[in-house]
Amino acid sequence: MVVPKQKKLHKAKITEISQVSKTLYYIKFKPESLFESKPGQFVSILCPNHTLRRPFSIASLENNEIGVLFKKKGSGTEYMAGLKIGDTIDFLGALGNGFKFDKDKKSLLIGAGVGVAPVYYLKKEIEKAGGDNRLIVGFMTKDEVPSCMSFDEIATNDGSLGLKGSILDYVEQEIISYKPDVIYSCGPHIVLKTITEIAQRHSISSFVALEKVMACSIGVCRGCVIKLKKNGTTVNASVCQDGPVFRGDEVLWQ
Amino acid sequence: MAVDLSVNKGKLKLKNPILTASGTFGYNFEYARFVDVASLGGIVTKAISLEPRPGNDWQRICETYGGMINSIGLENVGVKKFIEEKLPFLIKGNVNFIVNLAGASIDEYVKLAQICEENKINAVELNVSCPNVKSGCLEFGTDEKVLKSLVSQVRAVFSGCLIVKLTPNVTSVEKIALAAQEAGADAVSAINTVKGLSIKVRYINGKFQKETVQGGLSGKAVKPIALGVVNRISKILDIPVIGIGGIYSLEDVFEFFAVGAEAVQIGTANFTHPDISERLVNELKGFMETNGFQSLDELKEKLRGE
Ligand SMILES: Cc1cc2nc3c(=O)[nH]c(=O)nc-3n(C[C@H](O)[C@H](O)[C@H](O)COP(=O)(O)OP(=O)(O)OC[C@H]3O[C@@H](n4cnc5c(N)ncnc54)[C@H](O)[C@@H]3O)c2cc1C
Ligand SMILES: Cc1cc2nc3c(=O)[nH]c(=O)nc-3n(C[C@H](O)[C@H](O)[C@H](O)COP(=O)(O)O)c2cc1C
Ligand code: FES
Repeated sequence: MVVPKQKKLHKAKITEISQVSKTLYYIKFKPESLFESKPGQFVSILCPNHTLRRPFSIASLENNEIGVLFKKKGSGTEYMAGLKIGDTIDFLGALGNGFKFDKDKKSLLIGAGVGVAPVYYLKKEIEKAGGDNRLIVGFMTKDEVPSCMSFDEIATNDGSLGLKGSILDYVEQEIISYKPDVIYSCGPHIVLKTITEIAQRHSISSFVALEKVMACSIGVCRGCVIKLKKNGTTVNASVCQDGPVFRGDEVLWQ
Repeated sequence: MAVDLSVNKGKLKLKNPILTASGTFGYNFEYARFVDVASLGGIVTKAISLEPRPGNDWQRICETYGGMINSIGLENVGVKKFIEEKLPFLIKGNVNFIVNLAGASIDEYVKLAQICEENKINAVELNVSCPNVKSGCLEFGTDEKVLKSLVSQVRAVFSGCLIVKLTPNVTSVEKIALAAQEAGADAVSAINTVKGLSIKVRYINGKFQKETVQGGLSGKAVKPIALGVVNRISKILDIPVIGIGGIYSLEDVFEFFAVGAEAVQIGTANFTHPDISERLVNELKGFMETNGFQSLDELKEKLRGE
């Protein structure tokens, strides 16, 4: 019987909250008990008067302080944007499998929009381990780029900052110039699908962090299931527990 | 003073009245990092079918006002794997469990019940909100004749506590409940999810984007429906009723007791507050100690009398 002993239900005090771009907020909170996580894992935050918790990638973890980068979308994230320093939140975590990296491999990290959060955390961890990496990100416009993070390359769709165009326009040339062994990415579904196709063309392994609406966020309800191709057969996998990180070439893309 | 939380109504024997509902708590110890599963009155497993089922495609859940809609499609590991991999731990862990059964035909239910009998399983709950393939996929629980035949055939092979879980998506839940009782059920539980649909419409770049999820509504929004059903059936049944639907607090539990429920199941609330089931057991115990109730029956009597 596998009963995980690590505490998963936490209360935490908000230690910092700020708007870091026109569309993004950065929130930091400190749980009472010791917290451990890996890049790619997520937390599931209770939003009052809502049935479902809201999942967010962990963007940083330093001195037991968790950072989350989020975009205001609906009433759940509206509540989060209104939190003040000293407020208490209730969250589950760290959840999911997270990225596995090898410091001896050259890693190309790609983030699109708020999807930069987990790859930013991954970059920090690869750097701590002394691994070679490069983080390239894409946003619609300069106003969306979070001021609190630095990237190796930025592309904006309107060309207001960095390269002009979609980040997807630059993946191929990054592969040719940087010669990565592995690609890690997070962002909208279509972006991850395209990155995986490009990676496959160049025979580079690719790992993607997926999103799906979640209810339990611990593998029980089967609400967040996707399909994977494994050894020629199609199998179900939960994004919350088996993922959110998957091998790009195993995902049955929609 | 030790308080007696137990439920003792015919074959329905529970150490306390707080159970967790099928499909919201896994098969055995998925919630063990949040609650002491053995402290609960019992857990009802995810629905088990004869063969493993892959479930429905793509968008399976969404939040709605005061609840959620799911169309999981009974994804489960199948009875063989359940018996081999999950059951031994339930037994060893000293957990009171009820196995929720889902069939596509009466034969399938009977086979499942036989397997449960052979494995000395104490209690099963028939999920009769499954489409009956033979009758053009009408649900078993919507026709009292079909239901009666289903329950009596299961009764013939299963000697433990037989619970029939009622669907609210019927014209007369009273008729269905009576049919279950006449066919030999030891208890009924109500309600399963309420049929519903969520459609979110957004206008983006000159186009309407629609996101639809059709399935079963659960959570706080269904509590009044569930209370209504429990109230109506508990008046006419001799067998105990287990209340389910939108329970989030001790007050909610009392409301179900007040309209006649002998025990309750916690469903969607497990997703919102994974520790809620054990918390409710403790709160109930605390309430009884503080207010001098020695047994649950005494509390229920007072609730219903006043
Ligand atoms: C593993 C994972 C990691 C994520 N990481 C981040 C992140 O780092 N930063 C960030 O801004 N967003 C992240 N998201 C998305 C975030 O969860 C949603 O934006 C958020 O739930 C929206 O809530 P809302 O109430 O504001 O919006 P709503 O009005 O409820 O919904 C807006 C949209 O958000 C999505 N959504 C709603 N509820 C859920 C839910 N329970 N689970 C998943 N998606 C939902 C749906 O697609 C919906 O159409 C992540 C999602 C997942 C699954
Ligand atoms: C995600 C999900 C899965 C469910 N799966 C089952 C199931 O397999 N069998 C069953 O009888 N009921 C199932 N149900 C119904 C619940 O057990 C319960 O009857 C219903 O959700 C109402 O209670 P609630 O409002 O407390 O959730 C499911 C409900 C949800 C939300
Ligand atoms: S959210 Fe329940 S299984 Fe993933």
